[in-house]
Amino acid sequence: MTIQHIKIAKQLLANNDEAAIRNRERIEAAGVLAINVIAGPGAGKTSLIIKTLQALQSSAGHPGVARARVGVIEGDIAGIIDTQKVLAAGADDAVQINTGGNCHLEAGMIQQALDDLDLERLDIIFVENVGNLVCPTHWALGEQLKLCLLSAAEGHDKPLKYPEIFAVSDVIVLNKIDLIELVDFERDAFYASVRALNQRAPIFEVSCRTGTGIADWADWVLNQWTLRGAMVENSR
Amino acid sequence: MHELSIASYLVESVVEQAQQIRAERVLAINLLIGDRAGIVDDSLRFSFELLAADTLVAGAALNIRRSPMRFRCDECHGEYIPRDGEFNCPDCTRIGQLIDDGATLQIESIEVET
Repeated sequence: MTIQHIKIAKQLLANNDEAAIRNRERIEAAGVLAINVIAGPGAGKTSLIIKTLQALQSSAGHPGVARARVGVIEGDIAGIIDTQKVLAAGADDAVQINTGGNCHLEAGMIQQALDDLDLERLDIIFVENVGNLVCPTHWALGEQLKLCLLSAAEGHDKPLKYPEIFAVSDVIVLNKIDLIELVDFERDAFYASVRALNQRAPIFEVSCRTGTGIADWADWVLNQWTLRGAMVENSR
Repeated sequence: MHELSIASYLVESVVEQAQQIRAERVLAINLLIGDRAGIVDDSLRFSFELLAADTLVAGAALNIRRSPMRFRCDECHGEYIPRDGEFNCPDCTRIGQLIDDGATLQIESIEVET
């Protein structure tokens, strides 16, 4: 009997990361841009997806793009409410993942969801993660962009309490901006702590209720998609 | 709150590794976990023991080393670990720039019996 000490230095979630890479290869091969939407419950994930997909479908101002086709993967602990909502709002396709109590989506779940979506007939996919600012951060799904969504009503101190999601996000959206005066949200403090964690992610201020800022945000999303060379795939 | 999921990846990953080197059993697993990764040690141990039963890693000790969240201060030209609930440099009180988000989840090494 021999006792050996073996150096591994491997990410604990390496198996998830590998599955995420396979998902991403499928997504990119289909010319699709996938966005992982991470936020706490009630920040407005479903509302933002609906407002954005409606803006994207009109795709105003982008020559050569008749209409971006938007799919949604809905992650919830249980239920199909959000999938029904996004389909009723005009999503081109949507699938529901019920995690059965799990607090986050994992790459394996997305692999199954991709089987159920007609990727070739989509341009942009929003993946609505389970409402939670902690756990979803650790699990790559195969997305090209990680979106951190916060609402003004949650308070300006969220980056201090949940630094990781703000640090790793590619883009940050601050929703319910119409409430900012009512909820004592200190904008300067919010921007200072976000910028300490992340200097590269653009920050969009929007209100899904009034529509403020949605057009600029949707334009940015569309630009991200065209930048990835997906525009040539859009041959309708 | 996600320790059970983390533990399932941990067991799967170490079992794979142990099988590759034809280990009889795994005695210890050395982990590096960030202070801000949202992991409660006791909860991870509890989930691990539950999932490790009847596998090559059953009974393995989980040794957890912690790594802090770190910032760099451009004024003081040094690194610092912020206090809970703020990012300010303890010396000059300015907010520095993130170097490490303290969210590491890594298997550093394992000790096996072959």
